Amino acid sequence: MTDPTLIRNFSIIAHIDHGKSTIADRVLQLTHTVEDRDMVEQVLDSMDIERERGITIKAQAVRVLYTADDGVTYTLNLIDTPGHVDFTYEVSRSLQACEGALLIVDATQGVEAQTVANALMAMNAHLEIIPLINKIDLPSADPDRVRHEIEEALAIPADEAVLASGKTGEGVREALEAVVRLVPHPVGDPAAPLKALIFDSYFDAYRGVVALIRVVDGRIAAGMKVSLMAAGTTTEVEEVGVRRPVHVAVDELGVGEVGYLVTGLKDTSLVKVGDTVTLAKHGATEPLPGYREVKPMVYTGLFPIDGDQYPELRDALDKLRLNDPSVIYEPESSHALGFGFRCGFLGLLHMEIVKERLEREFDLDLLATAPSVEYHVHTTKGDMLSIHSPQDMPDPGSIDRIEEPYLKVTVLVPPEFVGAIMELTELHRATFVDMQYLSATTVEMHYEMPLSELIMDFFDQLKSRTRGYASLDYEVMDYRPSHLVKLDVLLAGKAVDALSFIVHKDKAFARGKMLTEKLRGIIPRQMFEVPIQAAIGGKIIARETVRAMRKDVIAKCYGGDISRKRKLLEKQKKGKKRMKQVGTIEVPQEAFMAILKVDEG
Amino acid sequence: MPTFGGISPAASSGLAALAPHAAAGVSNSAGPVEDSQEAPTPVSLYVHVPFCVSKCAYCDFYSEAAVDPARYAQFVDAVLFEAGHWSHYDLLDDVPTIYIGGGTPTIMGDELVRLVEGLMQTVRLRPGAEVTVETNPETTDIQMVARLVEAGVNRFSIGVQSFDDSVLRTLGRCHDVAQTQRALQALRESDIPFSIDLICGVPGQTFPSWEATLEQAVASGARHASVYPLAVEPGTPLEAAVLEGRTPAPDPDVAADMMLAAEVALTVGGMPRYEVANYAQPGHEARHNLVYWTGGAYLGVGPHAASMLPYPLYEAVAAGEGWEVAAPDAAHVPARARFTREVTLAEYLRYPLRRPEPLELLTAPDAAREDVMLGLRLTAGVLASQVDAAGLGGVLQDLAEQGLVELGADDSGDLRWATTQAGWLLGNQVFGAVWAGPEGS
Repeated sequence: MTDPTLIRNFSIIAHIDHGKSTIADRVLQLTHTVEDRDMVEQVLDSMDIERERGITIKAQAVRVLYTADDGVTYTLNLIDTPGHVDFTYEVSRSLQACEGALLIVDATQGVEAQTVANALMAMNAHLEIIPLINKIDLPSADPDRVRHEIEEALAIPADEAVLASGKTGEGVREALEAVVRLVPHPVGDPAAPLKALIFDSYFDAYRGVVALIRVVDGRIAAGMKVSLMAAGTTTEVEEVGVRRPVHVAVDELGVGEVGYLVTGLKDTSLVKVGDTVTLAKHGATEPLPGYREVKPMVYTGLFPIDGDQYPELRDALDKLRLNDPSVIYEPESSHALGFGFRCGFLGLLHMEIVKERLEREFDLDLLATAPSVEYHVHTTKGDMLSIHSPQDMPDPGSIDRIEEPYLKVTVLVPPEFVGAIMELTELHRATFVDMQYLSATTVEMHYEMPLSELIMDFFDQLKSRTRGYASLDYEVMDYRPSHLVKLDVLLAGKAVDALSFIVHKDKAFARGKMLTEKLRGIIPRQMFEVPIQAAIGGKIIARETVRAMRKDVIAKCYGGDISRKRKLLEKQKKGKKRMKQVGTIEVPQEAFMAILKVDEG
Repeated sequence: MPTFGGISPAASSGLAALAPHAAAGVSNSAGPVEDSQEAPTPVSLYVHVPFCVSKCAYCDFYSEAAVDPARYAQFVDAVLFEAGHWSHYDLLDDVPTIYIGGGTPTIMGDELVRLVEGLMQTVRLRPGAEVTVETNPETTDIQMVARLVEAGVNRFSIGVQSFDDSVLRTLGRCHDVAQTQRALQALRESDIPFSIDLICGVPGQTFPSWEATLEQAVASGARHASVYPLAVEPGTPLEAAVLEGRTPAPDPDVAADMMLAAEVALTVGGMPRYEVANYAQPGHEARHNLVYWTGGAYLGVGPHAASMLPYPLYEAVAAGEGWEVAAPDAAHVPARARFTREVTLAEYLRYPLRRPEPLELLTAPDAAREDVMLGLRLTAGVLASQVDAAGLGGVLQDLAEQGLVELGADDSGDLRWATTQAGWLLGNQVFGAVWAGPEGS
């Protein structure tokens, strides 16, 4: 057990691409936790997708030993948090496990939306925040401006901000000194019943579910009978240990310590982020505050391109969920696409990542339908239905009203793009709340806006209309009644359920028209004419036609060409296989996402 | 039941008789080739002449423009050396057809005559063999034609492409219509049958222009015509122009209409269609090209020339040359070898006998499917018995349901599968399904 006064638990928080994982890498090197020869980039991002995309999806915790300028060796627990708004709740739990945070701000970019959001979360968790201005080796670095922005936007004194470069390693030691000096050591009652916070969990093929925990009170050791309070589960601790970053078993974890817990459980969904571990007998009566059930924000249908892969998709989802219990899914069948699953995700990035992992790790070819949100449909009978898929929308006659989720949206943008944001938000049914100048170069704008509009290509549009300068953060606010209708798409006269979507009445005509135009460009010419229609409740509101293909023949085929021309045919055939056969029509995958790219701007 | 026009019964059976696979096809080729009692395998000969006056915008065949004429003699030496070398493997003892293509063979002038004369010394031609030389208007004159005929050429194929100067300019051709007319006059005077190549679906080409071209083609005295819709091939200047928006992409609907117009005009003019892109007076079908479409054997000499040999013949050559052959694999017993030597002119001149690369080995089922695929290019189609033997009956039934092929009886009462009018213009749907086979649908 480590003396709590020698422990510092801290996290690194940042806007995406500000260099969080690189700074973490340097900390590991400086403390010889990972030797130079074993160093791979972004040590803590263990998934390929994390490294490729430069994002952190799973929280990580690593214990490093640091001998400070005062000659004392401290135990530092570095908790690396996910860096995307989809994972806000996970971030908040990771922060709860710490007493301090290094707030990294890119010296060339300055304060961005998630800098603010993450700093606010850290403040809410009562963390000591140490600003670190990163990338000072770049020619365009402007630490003075960034210091000013940190003070203006976040009201955090920044005159003593650490100036650092993850690339050269400069300033990293100063950062650790600041952590030792400024971050309070953990305080808890070693004599009280065990209370430990679960801030992440994962599935190990050999050991079952492993939780990452922070001990608040008491102690935890192998062999103890513990209960997970929110899950209402009891189990015997198989092992506790710390990650350096390889797993090192320890006898016990005491007050303020961060480590792993081999739970002995096989079902990840029982080990919930934010839950409290206590003793099964004479345990704590009150859990740690702040637990909540994670609820998906966006839903999509996932269908195997090859219908025979349905059982494989089910197995893959079962396995993936072991590592990521925030994914929920239920079987869904579509006339157009056959059998698949309606899946719920924390956000669009989460959805993309899960789809990519399913395809890569389980060798599946998947088709995703346009994402939807959870609508609350109040029927004339007085029932409330939660609808995740346009297909499940009841008959309009039986609907009293539909409510949709609204967000509180924060956009940070240079002043010259305020007009562009006004225009874009207008198109997405957003209501302006207020705006304020954080500095001469940054305006913070607040909106209330339906989640369904945010998932309509809003983020890409935001980036392109502000040449990448705008940043975005949001949180769920409430459900509000909206005049929503279901728009159906018919191909060759037949409604294709997987192309239906729910849209605000005022947007229906415009989006229906643009979607049919878009689909005309996406659906290749077939051997027969394919009319594309958009309809609301049986009334056609837009129509386009894909004309029949008239000529598709390799006309010149002699000796030297035969092998080459045959390869061409094979390629053509392969291209077809990647399309989904809807009735007799071959529909490319992107058709099912076309609605997202429909923007009247 | 429909009957298939295009090739008269006599011509049709004539085709079957000349198709070398009747003697040396896949299924028959397993026998020992070293058996000296057996008749030699008919192998057609293709010579690739990689010289042009200038490169046309759309062409992706291997050739070099503005080459020092001193190279022509070296090239002819190399080709004759190469052909002579292969003849030692008894590959050229029964040659039913020779095709000297390119490129523009006639650019070589005297050297082309020497090439033809040399080949006549090197190979053993089957009596009545077809000997074709490809030519372009800018290099065709009456003396040249006469000397080639004297050397043994009995058929010409001339790259006319269009009788409209503005279309010729779009195509990047280096001749004009006046030169074409002089060249055609020379060919007519020789009284040797000739074929003309035409291109339709060219951006900017109008319907009246195309119809006038077809009319002149019929009036030219040609007994054979090839009609190609312009295709944008990778790596060509045309592709670059289309990608950069300097030239509009060819419109497939316009091409379809022009192909239909060609079929009407040429049929009325006495040259019915017998293949996707080929038209001929009955009895004047290109016998060399029929070898390609009926699974016959052929040997290509010159850089980038393709060959296809029954595998035992290839194996014998490979053994003699010391080329490694793959270890036998019971699951993929090769029945045929198709190969090319993708070398530059300079490399070829340094050493004409390089080992083939790329080399493709086809198993008997592959070959059977390929034969059906290529056979369906022909208006006369493929015998139903051949389709069934290739295991493709179900595939053809499916295609028939889509209206792309139909089963009919030919004039001798045999059932044949052939493409419909729709299946002609949508041939890739047919070829792709046939090549993919019953598992591929």
